[in-house]
Amino acid sequence: MKLELGNFYVKDIVFGNETKYENGILIVNKEDCLNFVKRDPHITEADLRIVKPGDMVRLVPVKEAVECRVKLNGDALFPGYTGPLSQAGCGRTHCLKGMSLLAVGRHWGGFQDGLIDMGGEGAKYTYYSQLNNLVLVADTDEEFEKREQQKKNRAIREAVHKLAEYIGKCVKDLEPEELESYELEPVIKRADATEKLPSVVYVMQPQSQMEEMGYNDLCYGWDCNHMLPTFMNPNEILDGAMVSGSFMPCSSKWSTYDFQNAPVIKRLYKEHGKTLNFLGVIMSNLNVALDQKERSALFVARIAKDLGADAAIVAEEGYGNPDADFTGCIVALEEAGVKTVGLTNECTGRDGKSDPLVSMDEKEDAIVSCGNVSELIELPPMPEVIGELESLGRDGLSGGWSGDEILGPSVRPDGSIIMENNAMFCGDQVIGWSTKTMKEF
Amino acid sequence: MKSVICYINQFFAGIGGEDKADYEPEVRQGVVGPTGAINMGLKAHDAQVSYTVVCGDNFMSTHRDEAIERILKELEGKEFDLFIAGPAFQAGRYGVACGEIGKAVQAKFGVPVITSMHVENPGVEMFKKEMYIMKGSHSAASMKHDADMMVALAGKLLKGEELEGPDAEGYYQRGIRHQVWRKDGVNCADRAVDMLIAKATGKPFTSELIIPKKDLVPIAPALKDLSKAKIALATTGGIVPVDNPDRIQSASATRWGKYDISDMDRLEGGVFKTIHAGFDPAAANADPNVIMPVDVMKEFLKEGKIGAIHKYFYSTVGTGTTQGEAKRMAKEIIPLLKEDNVDAVIMVST
Repeated sequence: MKLELGNFYVKDIVFGNETKYENGILIVNKEDCLNFVKRDPHITEADLRIVKPGDMVRLVPVKEAVECRVKLNGDALFPGYTGPLSQAGCGRTHCLKGMSLLAVGRHWGGFQDGLIDMGGEGAKYTYYSQLNNLVLVADTDEEFEKREQQKKNRAIREAVHKLAEYIGKCVKDLEPEELESYELEPVIKRADATEKLPSVVYVMQPQSQMEEMGYNDLCYGWDCNHMLPTFMNPNEILDGAMVSGSFMPCSSKWSTYDFQNAPVIKRLYKEHGKTLNFLGVIMSNLNVALDQKERSALFVARIAKDLGADAAIVAEEGYGNPDADFTGCIVALEEAGVKTVGLTNECTGRDGKSDPLVSMDEKEDAIVSCGNVSELIELPPMPEVIGELESLGRDGLSGGWSGDEILGPSVRPDGSIIMENNAMFCGDQVIGWSTKTMKEF
Repeated sequence: MKSVICYINQFFAGIGGEDKADYEPEVRQGVVGPTGAINMGLKAHDAQVSYTVVCGDNFMSTHRDEAIERILKELEGKEFDLFIAGPAFQAGRYGVACGEIGKAVQAKFGVPVITSMHVENPGVEMFKKEMYIMKGSHSAASMKHDADMMVALAGKLLKGEELEGPDAEGYYQRGIRHQVWRKDGVNCADRAVDMLIAKATGKPFTSELIIPKKDLVPIAPALKDLSKAKIALATTGGIVPVDNPDRIQSASATRWGKYDISDMDRLEGGVFKTIHAGFDPAAANADPNVIMPVDVMKEFLKEGKIGAIHKYFYSTVGTGTTQGEAKRMAKEIIPLLKEDNVDAVIMVST
């Protein structure tokens, strides 16, 4: 299966009369895009903003990030979700690089939402401060969850998933500046030289802990809570098979942009045929009940073994309860003789003294660690806030609080904030971007 | 000029050996015995030893509270930036004394504390999480070496320099982990694939998280007679009265509450709810007994299956809550259970 990603590098975003891409500049017809977004009657208020690296702007509550793209054959960008089912991961997809489309709540946030500082000392906590971002700021009539801590964020997330494709269409007929090609031969029909190399699988554990539909990551539009681990071609993940959900403290989350650009997949492709034989991805999940965790671990280990995997990378989109799925999966793989590396963040507490994972096993002898969810972060006021700063403390964001005897409220009257890393938007970047690690002090 | 206060025992103060180990604590101006070498080293860091505390090892071990109280009182009002105890080498009582006084000084005055012990000194295990304990030598023959190591770390701490971690600085791991940005900027995808290639091909690699040894709590012995036992209920599922009177946090909790259930047969929805943010609350809000099974326990009580139910149930939120906070909360709750002669606790997790 061959996927071609045609890249258009967006050096700047401006508003104009027509949505088009010219000489590295994305021109966006704001009114037209907002009219498109408002086709969903549940969107009651919407605005588009542009933010750039270094801007002294704070965005909160951030709900999602997507890369704007278009499939040249007319298939849905997110098959089974924004359009009919079709095969993701083949053919050609054109991508607007160096930018993301962000979804920000005009007022209301929730447990799973996060914060981005585009400039100043807070910028280092998220990947998205390095990108030019087009920001949809919207409110909805989803009254049933307005005051709920857990929000599905259905309307505003769907708005950016669809808008990403609507904007992406402007590069459909243009020649890309760069063409990336991704192709893996069928697993049992590979060159001898490749087959002699260590065979590797990448096990992804996307977030799927909610029993009620509407919160979890989607695989071809299918709630990941309802799936058993399955073998996937890495191209599918790079090409819209996976859509991010709306659950889990934000720094542990993987946005849809993260899935579309999965750095571990890209690096494994680079090594394929040189240092290793990249068999593909085992898409697992994260569950709450022990038998569900055990069943998934069993399936992952069995698929890896049947494929002839010598080694695996396991990455979890979460911490706390999901650590049990993470550890269980690594142990199952190691017991099946598959040499495994784990990719995760830690929860060592504000003082750094707590156990790093809630479930650990001495078989986990190769871990790459991306940060501490409970690190305390204090940031000065920002001249401008997009969204609503109060949401950080008021709405139960995982890293914010309304009051604390010692620390006071997360949001102070002067606009400065104190929060846990937990609420940094996709901040721990376990998907692969993280240049953070954990250090003993 | 920064100021450092040192602590040594009666032997190194030149007062005497075992026969003088009951020597009562005193604070002397300037250096005493080996703190002279520390003072010399500190000069390079623009610091000096302003006082030296001397105390007999026996006195510290047999009159611990009194010794600590007297020393802290004497240090009150004295300006200092750092506290150095020892080096204690393999001397067990001396090592523990350094740890005890170091911990108390750190808590009261908020200054960093450095000591030094040989790996087999029991003080290492007892206090390595509390302070910097340098990996010290076996005996006092290495006094200069061990003192120099303490001085080197002291210099960095006094200047506010970033430490390179326990291995590079030469102190025992304290089990304190924080996030840092890698200077080389290598992302975790590359680190994971590099580690994978190394592990798959039998080459050396360094895990970024060494899994600590398990801190297992032994399983309690079974109750002999359930029909005579008093049972208490506790949960990390966040069940609280609807107004959450103790303002327990929905995640990363540091607070807990206790709620009187003596007059009720069950927890009613609308009276109690869950504030836990880590799971779908619908079922627990409709019927809080699915998490805090008061209904079933009261039936068991009527049937005589259990002897009694403790008057309160205890509640906090488990999601994102650190092990350290959980341990502290348990230590606050346990005395209340003991006071009421509770025989067993049903701990409901979610």
